[in-house]
Amino acid sequence: MFRTFSLVITVLLLCIKTNAQANRRKFKDAFKASLVALTDFSYEFKGNKMQKSEIVLKPRFEYHINHASKLVLIGQVYSELNDNLEPGKSKDYSASKFSRRLFIGDRTNLELRELYYHAKVGKNLRIMLGKQQIVWGETDGLKLLDVVNPQNFREFILDDFEDSRIPLWSAKSEFNILNIGVQLVWVPDNTYHIIPSFDAPFFTSSIFPKPPDGISTIIRRPKRPNRFLEDSDYGFKLSSFIKGWDVSVNYFYYYDDLPAFYNRLDLDNENGPSVIFTPEYERQHLIGGTLNKVIGSSTLRAELAYVFNQNFITTNPIISNGVQISNVYKSAFGVDYVKGEHVISAQLFSDVITDDISAYNRDRFETNTSLKLQQEMMNDNLTLDVLWGHNYNHGDGYIRPQVGYWMNSSVRLHLESSFFYGNENQLFGQFKDRNRVSLGFMWGL
Amino acid sequence: MKTYKIISVTVLMLILSTTTNAQNLPLGQHIAEKTHERNEGISMKRKLTMALKDKRGKVRIRETISLRKYYGKEKRLAIFYETPRSVQGTAFLTYDYPNASVDDDQWLYMPALRKTRRISAANRGDYFLGTDLTYEDIKLETRISLDDYNYKTLGKEIIKGQACFIVEGTPKTKEIAKELGYGKVKFWIDAKIWMLRKAESWDVAQNHLKTIEITDVKQVQGIWTYHKIFVKNHKTGHETIFLNSDIDYQTNISDDTFTKEALVNGL
Repeated sequence: MFRTFSLVITVLLLCIKTNAQANRRKFKDAFKASLVALTDFSYEFKGNKMQKSEIVLKPRFEYHINHASKLVLIGQVYSELNDNLEPGKSKDYSASKFSRRLFIGDRTNLELRELYYHAKVGKNLRIMLGKQQIVWGETDGLKLLDVVNPQNFREFILDDFEDSRIPLWSAKSEFNILNIGVQLVWVPDNTYHIIPSFDAPFFTSSIFPKPPDGISTIIRRPKRPNRFLEDSDYGFKLSSFIKGWDVSVNYFYYYDDLPAFYNRLDLDNENGPSVIFTPEYERQHLIGGTLNKVIGSSTLRAELAYVFNQNFITTNPIISNGVQISNVYKSAFGVDYVKGEHVISAQLFSDVITDDISAYNRDRFETNTSLKLQQEMMNDNLTLDVLWGHNYNHGDGYIRPQVGYWMNSSVRLHLESSFFYGNENQLFGQFKDRNRVSLGFMWGL
Repeated sequence: MKTYKIISVTVLMLILSTTTNAQNLPLGQHIAEKTHERNEGISMKRKLTMALKDKRGKVRIRETISLRKYYGKEKRLAIFYETPRSVQGTAFLTYDYPNASVDDDQWLYMPALRKTRRISAANRGDYFLGTDLTYEDIKLETRISLDDYNYKTLGKEIIKGQACFIVEGTPKTKEIAKELGYGKVKFWIDAKIWMLRKAESWDVAQNHLKTIEITDVKQVQGIWTYHKIFVKNHKTGHETIFLNSDIDYQTNISDDTFTKEALVNGL
């Protein structure tokens, strides 16, 4: 009896052990964890000081529930040692309470960057639910269709898009109808651009008219939409690959991530005469599309967008609330030429206000260009590139030479400089005192 | 006098033997065709590890998951980067068309931009993602081109215990030579399973350029499969080792794996 009992127990224990080992192995196969650590230090020439001293940790966890579904979590610990880019403790007023960062003191914040569930349902449906980035468009640098996620402008356009783009709680589904890929997007998260404060180095002063001497400027906290369904953003993308052409048609009904800056002169303010800005987020429709085609060694790219009801601060004194509305047509045409280890990429951006309004600090027709030269060397160990962006209307722009070097499999060294030029009242020229050189490392563990 | 006779007879026999062999050797074009007839299965999933070593001995490791599927004669290949962690999510997709006059279609997903970029496939002599194989080498894997070379079968040789035909390929035109980056190539093709075992190549100026060795060849699920490719670039001193593991020809790969959306969503 005892022997039988012992045998049963032994077999059971073996089964449990085998099961536990199998489960451990199963879990080990299904679970992946990684960490990327970044440091980036920038020295500002004019101010003769450190402009940025960042240390960032990005843990990523991925669990494959089964062969058709997975859960992904990406967190971030961000620390800026000299508290310069976003001075003080940011309140993230433009972010919904589910998407705000958790500040620990002035210098460090924790952020849930992404947390989503991805599943293939049946043969033809893929869904992605949770906090995520949804990226549309073909252009580099300036954004036309890439409007689903807002951006943190703490470094204007100098931060990597991966870091500056703000992930949102949203749902994305994809399926095919014949040879057309359909993507449906629903974004209930009312989070908008994070604009630097007055005292930050990259405060975008060029979008606000300077009041006459003796009159101060007050910018009120924006009124942020907060109804779950009524204030959600919705959109779709249809895409196809036809005879060598990549084509997409996009539509998005959304709140512009930059508020309309309604403003009025208040002569009776207790602190003296002031221009008071009352920002409000406004609804827009966007329709557009992309196409690209390879011809020989070149890839031709195009992106078009038509925005209905864009708000502009106006210089027309008759307009009492200081804001005029117009539709806007935007286009971008690019060509990437690749020869061996060399890449030349050129883009032409046009932006047209269709109605007869008097928009502040911009022309009705605006033209921007960008040119990027890149060379890979030493079997992609070393990358040299330089990016030049220029606005033809105002003669301002920027130049960014960069060097990237893989020190081993997981460590990359990054040296970069940024030079803005032009009139200080213009979009790029306003940051010419922010020219800098940066050195960074990226570790992947 | 006796010695002279022996030498003469030996030389004569050698000449006769070579001639006979040359007459019995298959034509180079025939060998090229045989490499394309080899069974590669309809679909395949594998772990592909690339070790890149520079002339100072610094090694960079790239681990990927590679998926391939045939649609008739059209081949689609997707490569997803797993490590290093800092480039995790990078993915490459190619549609390889059977008509040689039609350029392949290729896309590269860059996680730092979260965008998929279309890449020209016209420059088939360009190096593939920092390795020492060109896009054309990767496309052909262990086969040899049907259209680019005039072939001459030079003989037979034993490579790693396997009898191989030695085939010399000379690009048909100067333009093709320039496109491929090769002025001459010598291939060692396994005479039994019609798989490339070794290749030596010279650049357009006839400088020794590369040595490729394919080893650890064994059957997986009944299909002859290589597990290791070693490439040395004699000009730069750079080396690449491609290691294949966890190879599975029976896995069911859905068609939507080979789409731009799949590159974004990852595996």
